[in-house]
Amino acid sequence: MKGQNLEQLKKEYMETPIPAELDFVVKKSLQESRKKMLRKNKFRKIRTAAISVVAAAAVFVVGINSSPVFAKTLADVPFVGSIVKVLTFREYTIDEETFDAKIIVPAIDGLQNKNLENSLNEKYLAENERLYEEFMAEIKDLKEKGGGHLGVDSGYVVKTDNERILSVGRYVVNTAASSSTVFKYDTLDKQDEVLITLPSLFKDERYVEVISENIKEQMRAQHQADENKIYWVKGVEDEGFVDLFEKIDKEQSFYINPDDKLVISFDKYEVAPGYMGVVEFVIPTEVIADILVSAEYIK
Amino acid sequence: MRSSSLEQELENFVIQEQEKYYRLAYSYVKNADDALDIVQESIYKAVASIDSLKNPGYIKTWFYRIVVNTALDFLRQSKKVVIVEEEVLSGFSESKVDTYADLDLQRAMEKLPLSYRSIIVLRFFEDLKIEEVAEVLDVNVNTVKTRLYKALEKLRLEIKNQNEGD
Repeated sequence: MKGQNLEQLKKEYMETPIPAELDFVVKKSLQESRKKMLRKNKFRKIRTAAISVVAAAAVFVVGINSSPVFAKTLADVPFVGSIVKVLTFREYTIDEETFDAKIIVPAIDGLQNKNLENSLNEKYLAENERLYEEFMAEIKDLKEKGGGHLGVDSGYVVKTDNERILSVGRYVVNTAASSSTVFKYDTLDKQDEVLITLPSLFKDERYVEVISENIKEQMRAQHQADENKIYWVKGVEDEGFVDLFEKIDKEQSFYINPDDKLVISFDKYEVAPGYMGVVEFVIPTEVIADILVSAEYIK
Repeated sequence: MRSSSLEQELENFVIQEQEKYYRLAYSYVKNADDALDIVQESIYKAVASIDSLKNPGYIKTWFYRIVVNTALDFLRQSKKVVIVEEEVLSGFSESKVDTYADLDLQRAMEKLPLSYRSIIVLRFFEDLKIEEVAEVLDVNVNTVKTRLYKALEKLRLEIKNQNEGD
């Protein structure tokens, strides 16, 4: 059995017809996967409904239970007003042999504008509940097929916290089967209690072009100084191999750093190969000074 | 910060070894479209999780593992358990003299549980070492040995029964 028959089977196996498009599919996938890391998770197939429902229900109970308490804590603080800060609202930790998750949910505290505060905090909670839910479903999935490694790490960093500005970045790092790093920022004006969006900083939409051009220059300059720094930009990477960076999104991730400078952030794989990680560009204020609405936030 | 070489190495490797991994995917799903899908998704997964590849020396088994898991995922989700084999076989019949014996053997293979079939494919068709098979399937070496033995046993029994039934 082990001899001839198996040889025959192997021969047959080796003769599996190779479709002509394989090479194309492989190259295309390599190209796309470098570029579209983030969207790619949508490729996921639909999971068994029952599993998700169970996981969702569990999280929901947590959410509902804690929200009123949270709301009450806020109401109890007598001197809210000016003390706007970020605190850790909730942590989920899963630590099993091959699965680990750490999900930290931030919460903005101390705004008098409760609408703004609540909408931000609800967003944070909802995002993380979804993350938890997806993670649990994936674990269940993996366990059924007999194991695997999976990890998710989500949390937040305070980029800037001064008299005027509070910039909070929330990140999600997935490891194992689908790894990616995603950063999202919220920047608040603590005095006026408003959420600062990228378009709101500028007089009109010219900023997209101006900032994009500056970033492209920076990318090329960095590459020239150190050839290991690769960006998917004309002059560094060949066209056709990957989609090159053209311009930022109108709502591109950004924050304002402690030096009052505008920082544009790109997720892993958004404009550069994965080893470059999350990349950021500080935009020199003189480049955008003409089109800024005011010099109030960015100096 | 990781050097670019690992990513580059993965790319070269995948391009070079694409047929191998296609065949492996095909052995699970038995049709070209699905096998291509699996190759595609495996590449997505590999690039995305390149950070989990600690040592470039493991690239081969690491990628095998992604392909196997993706294929198993696919099978579970599409629930395509019964596969029509005849049509596929006719595709390479010109190189075959006694198709009947192969058919029996093929059927016997199909009857094996997936975990056993994977081992046969990896060990005998892809010529991996027992240790490598264990790594790909994320089980220990002894389990591989036991399953391999049992798989061969089952195959032999299956063939014998079929022959006796004729």
